[in-house]
Amino acid sequence: MGQNEEGAVVSTVQEKASLGMAELDDFNLLVRQHQRRIYRVLLGMVHDPDAAETLTQECFFRAYRNRASFRGESSAGIWLFKIAVNLARDHRRSRLRVFWQRLFSSADDASEAGERLPDSHASPEKMLLLQEDMTRVWSAIKALSPRQRAVFIFRFVEEMTLEEIAEATSLKVGTVKAHLFRAVNAVRQRLKEGAHNE
Amino acid sequence: MNNHLSRDQITEWVSGTHEEGVRLHLESCEDCRSEAEGLQKTLSGFRDSIHAMAQQDDRYWRRQQITIGERLAAGRWSPSGYWIWATALLGVLVAVLLLMRTPKIPRYGTTEAADEILLQQVQGDVSREFPEALAPAVLIAEERNEILTRKTNQPSKSNSKEGVQ
Repeated sequence: MGQNEEGAVVSTVQEKASLGMAELDDFNLLVRQHQRRIYRVLLGMVHDPDAAETLTQECFFRAYRNRASFRGESSAGIWLFKIAVNLARDHRRSRLRVFWQRLFSSADDASEAGERLPDSHASPEKMLLLQEDMTRVWSAIKALSPRQRAVFIFRFVEEMTLEEIAEATSLKVGTVKAHLFRAVNAVRQRLKEGAHNE
Repeated sequence: MNNHLSRDQITEWVSGTHEEGVRLHLESCEDCRSEAEGLQKTLSGFRDSIHAMAQQDDRYWRRQQITIGERLAAGRWSPSGYWIWATALLGVLVAVLLLMRTPKIPRYGTTEAADEILLQQVQGDVSREFPEALAPAVLIAEERNEILTRKTNQPSKSNSKEGVQ
């Protein structure tokens, strides 16, 4: 952790803090540096590209509106993650969204993740197995609580440290560990059930 | 520790929250390593799938930057919004000023006028010879008295005529 493809190279919390204040001076730079990661995290949280795009825009808009409350105690990236987690949680709570989600079966969403697997030279059989595993992982993640889901995404998609996850989710490190443990166990259970059903 | 790692220990290793003993066991136990690495591989596959899903071309990100920039600009300065609020505020101020400048009619003025009217009515009633409600009865009585007076006068006139003849 500490480096991402957007070029935001950070190593320590102090470095991040000083970077954070500077980043806010040029908000456009902040958007350019973090939009990909924010979009990716939100995509993992809501599993809907359109919603993730809208929430990404909303995340930056809220960040700009509340920029006075940013004290530079953590990196701007962590601060944006906090906003993104809250947005994803609110999005999930939306009754209207739940209604539409129930109306249209989510089976298509689960298979979409498998269809968007990275290019691989693996055999078709292996790709099929991998696709089925991904469908099961998505299915397990959907059943997680918003916090467990956020912790899981931060750990396994963004490869953040436990301390960084604790900051982004406003939890203690011990609580992050507990959420992570439950989330991974839930995924393992779903994978195991899938293997037994075959 | 038994011969193999427990399910929870493997979960902890995958999550990165394991103890040193777990790592040492995995180095020596083929079965546990295979299970742990299998799970780790699945989670890596999940990470790659999200990265693939989130992969967009540069135009997409530029378009998003523009959209965010436009929204921020709209939120920062909205002339039409300011004018609407300014006009509404001005209207409220003018209304308050007009209300303050309108002369107030003292409440006692209306009470006095009503008292004056009532007093006049009372004086009018007192100055009457009889109550207004008995006016029809008085009229009838007057007419009756007039008829009686006429009747009593008529025989005396006829008697006087007979006497002349």
